[in-house]
Amino acid sequence: MSYFSSLYYLAFLPAVFIIYNLFPKKVRPFILLIASLIFFYTYSKWLLVFILISALSIYIAGKLLNKLINEQNAEIKDLELEKKKLVKEKYRKKKKLILLGTILFNVAFLFYFKYLGFFTNVFNNLLSLFKFDSSFKIVRHLAPIGISFYTLEAISYIVDVYHEKCPSENNFFKLLLYLTFFPTLVEGPITRYNDVREDIYAGHKATYDSFCFGYQRILYGLFKKMVIADRLNIFVKMIFCDYNHFSGPLIFLGAIFYTILLYMEFSGTMDIVIGSAEIFGIKLKENFRQPFFSKSISEFWSRWHISLGAWFKDYIFYPVSLSKFVKKITSSLKKVFSTHVTSLVMGGIALFAVWSLNGLWHGAGYQFLFFGYYHFTLILLANIFEPYVIKICDKLKINRQNIFYKIFRIIKTCILVFIGEMFFRANSLASGIAMFKRLFTHFSFHRFGHYVLTLGLDIKDYIILGLSIIFIFIMSILKEKNVNVREELSKKNIVLRWLCYYALILSIIVFGAYGDGYAPVEPIYADF
Amino acid sequence: MKNVLKSVLFIAILIGLIMGITCLLLPKESIYKYGLIKTSTYEILREKENTIDAVVIGDSLIYSGISPMEIWHNYGYTVYDMAKSAQLISDSYKYFQVAIASQKPKIIFFEANVLYRQAKNKPWLSVWQDLYKTYLPILTYHNYWKKYLFNNLNDSLYYSRLNAYKGFKYINKSVPGTKLDYMHEKAKVEVPKENQEYFQKIVELCQENAVKLIVISTPNMKSWNYGKHLGAKELTESYGLKYIDLNIGNPLDIDWKTESRDAGSHLNFKGAIKLSNYIGEYLESTEEFSDKRDQEEYDNWDEAYELYEKLLLQ
Repeated sequence: MSYFSSLYYLAFLPAVFIIYNLFPKKVRPFILLIASLIFFYTYSKWLLVFILISALSIYIAGKLLNKLINEQNAEIKDLELEKKKLVKEKYRKKKKLILLGTILFNVAFLFYFKYLGFFTNVFNNLLSLFKFDSSFKIVRHLAPIGISFYTLEAISYIVDVYHEKCPSENNFFKLLLYLTFFPTLVEGPITRYNDVREDIYAGHKATYDSFCFGYQRILYGLFKKMVIADRLNIFVKMIFCDYNHFSGPLIFLGAIFYTILLYMEFSGTMDIVIGSAEIFGIKLKENFRQPFFSKSISEFWSRWHISLGAWFKDYIFYPVSLSKFVKKITSSLKKVFSTHVTSLVMGGIALFAVWSLNGLWHGAGYQFLFFGYYHFTLILLANIFEPYVIKICDKLKINRQNIFYKIFRIIKTCILVFIGEMFFRANSLASGIAMFKRLFTHFSFHRFGHYVLTLGLDIKDYIILGLSIIFIFIMSILKEKNVNVREELSKKNIVLRWLCYYALILSIIVFGAYGDGYAPVEPIYADF
Repeated sequence: MKNVLKSVLFIAILIGLIMGITCLLLPKESIYKYGLIKTSTYEILREKENTIDAVVIGDSLIYSGISPMEIWHNYGYTVYDMAKSAQLISDSYKYFQVAIASQKPKIIFFEANVLYRQAKNKPWLSVWQDLYKTYLPILTYHNYWKKYLFNNLNDSLYYSRLNAYKGFKYINKSVPGTKLDYMHEKAKVEVPKENQEYFQKIVELCQENAVKLIVISTPNMKSWNYGKHLGAKELTESYGLKYIDLNIGNPLDIDWKTESRDAGSHLNFKGAIKLSNYIGEYLESTEEFSDKRDQEEYDNWDEAYELYEKLLLQ
């Protein structure tokens, strides 16, 4: 049951809303848990067992860590500083063993389901490179839905318990709810236990207002997905499946359309996710913040899939850059090089780790690894050249705060993003490289207009696309200026409010790209 | 209480708006003659009256396996799939009534798999889909806005032209089927009593309207077997009807490795071409139908074929 299926928003969600409200406050979290398990089951059937095992491992590890922390605190209570250090060191080793064991156990699941096929293939390639005759059978397994998301949530929970940033959960079912909460299960956002635990276990009453507000957000998400993303999908599929027949400008247009499609699909899903949680009084953090207003690639990644970026920052970037190994390197570099170079190397090592994992997280394929390293290179280059760019701008008396300079930077960032997404969508790394080459080797506008109008979209589709994108653009500008459109709308009189709702609902129904001749976009991030 | 009233009013207005738009988008003649719900439920009502040579009624095996446009292109006969996922024989009876009332086909093929399906076995997902397709017809017809906003809606060719698949569903993926000995000897499986009664009503309806009824078992490795073959054969022959089982001896030479979309349950497009040509050849052998490809009255089928070809490329 996808978030975009009518079964979800017309039957499942209202049913959960009604049942949830029938029960007293204390029972409501368990209603959400049952709903989440049913939701999981509709996707992955008995693979549910794996998420239960994973949650159990996290639960037990959390309890053990908590026990050790309590024992340690009791033991060091009246000790001197030196002795305290010794006791802490003794416990640190034990705690670390539990932490690493639990992380490895859960990552092993992820590896087994998602990466085993890819790494067997890599290994076979290496064997044939060194002229070995044997090869291993490539086994691919159907992964439990959302495994990449709940594994990261599970790791964040156990690491936070280890660092005493959050308490361990005493009730297994509550922890299970955190890991399987149905709105966030399939495509995130990757929530932190500390951020959601109060709301998720509070059993807030789902009110008429929360229901209306939640559904408004869901409608907005449906509009993005069904009117824009699913319509663009027709053109995008044609270009990416048959790129050998198209010129550079058409391929680039395909890349632009794909980037818009991806944004509309993923941010649309997030609207549905956040709206669904809002119905039950649970506030989730935003996962997108107008990414196409970014002036650099690093800013783009702080506005796109925010929860993933934040996870990598907290659980990979900082631990790597503060590790003994990196500290050792930087202290020896400091003796020879300037602070700028030293910080570049220190950040570079951590960034490399982040983007290697980020690429792999997005998919088991060389093109995803390339996608990661592409962004790593862009961010590193920006870090290297930033001081020089500032100097050049100063010399040329270019005001970096000037609106035109800002627009120039936004366009530059968008172009780099389009190219990155082109590799991301390509069927393989080889296809991605071939497409990139064609951008230059087949740069011609011959029959460009003809193809634009014959690759599945006609002029009427473009009119709907244009108007819809302008609508989303205006909404994004308002959001960027901190205008809460839904709150503003709620202050208006009922006639205007209802007119807006009807317009949105009817435009989804009438202009949605579904039915004969349209293949809806598969939930892209659900595969990660 | 105030909120409940507000919600009821909101939904009532919304239903009114949806119905209004649906009326704008659907063929008015059909709405006038058959009513809004019926017009939206039965796609065949988009076709000009009395223009269909043969109809195929059945479940997903039919909409996956028979492409009327292939038959049109190769033989010039007008065939229409009146198929619905997990169709029950009670639904089939209604389909027969609509087909006969609006089109007067000479032959109706009926998929034997439906004879064995009982209401309690109907998947809940298909119940849900039927429900909203029936009561929210706009979901099926919403794409007509293109014509409504930009062209003359009175273009009578439009409805037929837009409906390029004529009930067929194009699925081109391939998942090999492995249960190759699925038609091995097996004891007869009786057609359920209630379904036999419905079948009798169908036979009577066809007889009253001089429509030739042919029961057909299209290739299906998963839910068809020799026992069901015997049961269906006995029932159809008891009425003196023709029964064709395309699973016996694999007369279409279906390659289950490449011509099924889901491990033997349904044919994919490659398999559908074979089955469609079989139907075309059969109709040709009856010498009851003329090739309509050059007839002006059937220009809309040529237009539909053009659109069909485009859709296949997507």
